[in-house]
Amino acid sequence: MKVSVRNEPYLFINLIFAGVILLVIIYSGIFSPEKNNYPVACIHEKLTGEQCVSCGLSHSFSLILRGRIAEAYQWNLNGMRVFIFFVSQLILRIVFSVYYLKIQDTRKQLIIVDCIGSGIIFLISFWPFILSIIKSIL
Amino acid sequence: MEEVKNNTGQNLGIAALITAIVTFVIAVIPCVGLIAIIPGIIAIILASVGMSQAARNNSPRGVLIAGLIIAIIAVLISLSQIFVAGKIAQKANKWPGDIQNIINDVQDNVVKDLEDANISIKVESNGDKVEINTSTGKKNQEKTLENLEGIDTLKNDTIQKKK
Repeated sequence: MKVSVRNEPYLFINLIFAGVILLVIIYSGIFSPEKNNYPVACIHEKLTGEQCVSCGLSHSFSLILRGRIAEAYQWNLNGMRVFIFFVSQLILRIVFSVYYLKIQDTRKQLIIVDCIGSGIIFLISFWPFILSIIKSIL
Repeated sequence: MEEVKNNTGQNLGIAALITAIVTFVIAVIPCVGLIAIIPGIIAIILASVGMSQAARNNSPRGVLIAGLIIAIIAVLISLSQIFVAGKIAQKANKWPGDIQNIINDVQDNVVKDLEDANISIKVESNGDKVEINTSTGKKNQEKTLENLEGIDTLKNDTIQKKK
């Protein structure tokens, strides 16, 4: 059976997200913590001169990719959980897409489970950042 | 008569939804959160255009509404990063303090320059030269004042009544 991705919005969205996550992983792989050649600088640090809760995330990702976990934690304590979010999403996009294609009767339920599940994983992974925003506002 | 439904605006809806979700993830990260305003606005525009197209052609609007809501929340989170920056600055006792220090430094420099200003006027006419030099130096002024005070200013210069 031939499936056109253009006619299946869910598959198209999954494909794009998988691509975006792959780009994040490639970015972490290309730029090295030794050379410190990351193009994205922290806006908060530039404005205030002080580090924010997400500073060192790129360094942390690069070090995790290179297997230097202890060093990654030194750069950013939340680096690992955010990295796990990206990797888990990459796997979920592939798994859910295959499931969507194979079992057509439960497509609607699959999308609902995906939205809720991904939302929960997102909240758990980004909770320190969300908390810092809430604390700043209140 | 059966209602005819088409997929007008669906492509825009998908584009808006993807942009909105990516924007949402970026907006939550404090380092780059402020940048998320730009894709957030793009997502809102895409969703709005899609909504108007869908309304005209009676197409489904689920994806468009989802994209619009997520984009609006993402933009709000992105805007809230300004508060985070403010909080960091407040915590570090910087930013407003630095600006205050800069203003004070400029003020001091201007006052100092004015205090030590030297004025020189040269006039040349038919081989005649006239040069006037004067200084508003604070030290010089103080010296002059001291010299003046050195003279017995308390000298009794009242006219004595003739007895």
